[in-house]
Amino acid sequence: MAQNRLTRFLRSEWIYIVSSVLLVLFPHIVGWMTDSSPFGVQRGTRYIMSGSAVYWMSILIDIFALSVLVMSYNLMFGFTGVISFGHAMFFGLGGYLLGIVTQMTGLPPDIAFIAGVALVIVVSAVLGLGIGFATLRLRGVYFAIFTLAVSEMVLIYFGRWAVTGGEDGFALSTIPVWIDAAQSRINLYYVSLALFAGTFVFIRRLVNSPAGAVFKAIRENEMRAQAIGFNTLRFKLLSITIASVLGGLAGIIHALLAKKIGPEMLNVSHTVDALLMTIIGGVGTFTGPILGASGLTLADVLLREATVSIGSLTIDIGDSWLLILGLIFVLVVLIFPFGIVGTWNRLRMRFTRR
Amino acid sequence: MTPILETRSLTKAFGGLVAVNDVSIQVEEGSTHAVIGPNGAGKTTLFNLLCGNFKPTSGRVFYRGQDITNVPLHQRAHLGIGRSFQIINLFPNLTVLENVRLAAQALGHDNFRIFRRASTIVSYVARAAEALEIVGLQGQASVPASVLPHGGKRKLELAILLAADPKLLLLDEPTAGMASEQVPELMQIIERVRSLGGRTIVIVEHNMNVVMNACDRITVMNLGQVLAEGTPAEIGANKQVQDVYLGELYDLPGAHA
Repeated sequence: MAQNRLTRFLRSEWIYIVSSVLLVLFPHIVGWMTDSSPFGVQRGTRYIMSGSAVYWMSILIDIFALSVLVMSYNLMFGFTGVISFGHAMFFGLGGYLLGIVTQMTGLPPDIAFIAGVALVIVVSAVLGLGIGFATLRLRGVYFAIFTLAVSEMVLIYFGRWAVTGGEDGFALSTIPVWIDAAQSRINLYYVSLALFAGTFVFIRRLVNSPAGAVFKAIRENEMRAQAIGFNTLRFKLLSITIASVLGGLAGIIHALLAKKIGPEMLNVSHTVDALLMTIIGGVGTFTGPILGASGLTLADVLLREATVSIGSLTIDIGDSWLLILGLIFVLVVLIFPFGIVGTWNRLRMRFTRR
Repeated sequence: MTPILETRSLTKAFGGLVAVNDVSIQVEEGSTHAVIGPNGAGKTTLFNLLCGNFKPTSGRVFYRGQDITNVPLHQRAHLGIGRSFQIINLFPNLTVLENVRLAAQALGHDNFRIFRRASTIVSYVARAAEALEIVGLQGQASVPASVLPHGGKRKLELAILLAADPKLLLLDEPTAGMASEQVPELMQIIERVRSLGGRTIVIVEHNMNVVMNACDRITVMNLGQVLAEGTPAEIGANKQVQDVYLGELYDLPGAHA
């Protein structure tokens, strides 16, 4: 019996297990392949963060942070059917609040870091709940506009607030050694991997739970969900609150990697990226957001430097990256109308039914 | 005995148009009660007032003696009132079973358990399967609701209602849009629900034939007001009803005599 369950578990989850193992070993595999150390280059007692392994870890940390942001956006947009244009606010606040607590309170680094993370969780939850409560009675587009307005307000405020360096932002310099990107990138890598994997497992459990079933019912037909007895407002608040907290945590990782916080973290482009990556990967799928986030980030990294020569004409892809991104988006929407993962799932379902 | 559902002087005006005008009806517990009338009689408006979609301009709605005029939509299901929709109104991309399972879950106490798989809470799944059995959709439990044919969607609509085990079923034109040869099958299902007992059914219907054999009492509406009320036999014999409704539609012999 127990063995039966284990076999079933392995059969359905093997791809996630293999991916986890690969991601855990990734820094060492890259280090071995490129003959560099994932711990950086030793200079006396210090380690300098350079070399291919460190470079690729940074890219993956970036992907993890972005994936958490996109997964949290997908929880609202893809599973609950709530369109927010203010998600970047939580991403940015994650960075700002952590920065303010670690740089400006004078607490010892370890305590300040933990207090900062706790503050981000609490403020994101309260703010998400508050915005939801104030506006979710509004339908669709009004909610989207309101969230955009609030997040732009926050952006303008932090862009002008002298304490946080206004437009320039400020550096994240006093953080605990064990998670400092400049001293031990590999620790930051494993912390972000843990957050990324945890978010994935959590969202999957949540969506498959009774509450998640109601999320999907609201996405499909909110009025009917009310008619069969659900107080849909409560479930939307739950979804938005969780998504806000996860958005804040993603912002923390982003700030820890960049070691700098500025108003660009609050820019609406993060919301738009999350929206596009959700659509490209597959709205309302579990792996779609990860595929969207990692695909677009990797394409950016790999194609930025590339040039294409057609006869005597040389096109620098980096210069026209946004144009190419637009083309990719149009193509994906045309070829995969339900996103890459969504379309794949539909095709598979069609073939297994016959 | 208090009627299970009662309206007192219910009136709904849209600007200058009075769609429902001073309607007072009483529905006995355990009965099957039909509300019929020609187009524009105010049937659908009355239905929306009964189920809480519209707030009345004046007048009250009572359920087992309790004033429910201002009770929000989602709480009505918890009182034991279930409603169907005239327009197909399902969760299109969820499976047939999931559509029904949600209705069973809605009235339970597991809605906010976020670390349990919904499909492992067996009681809801069993209740949903039972409801699908009653309407005869058990063979299509795992297909998305959107791929069902129109008649199947109508049956699913009923199964969603039954899964919540309501004491009062409000059906808004359950046969709307169905081919006439499919109507008897659906009426048989309603008949089966009726024979299971313990439920009161209110059917708002345009199609006279549908309700004549399937209900205990009929209220006839015309121009927003109650024109007549009685047993199917009394309504069939009512001269006024024949004039405004039966005669006009079916041109019964004797209607113009």
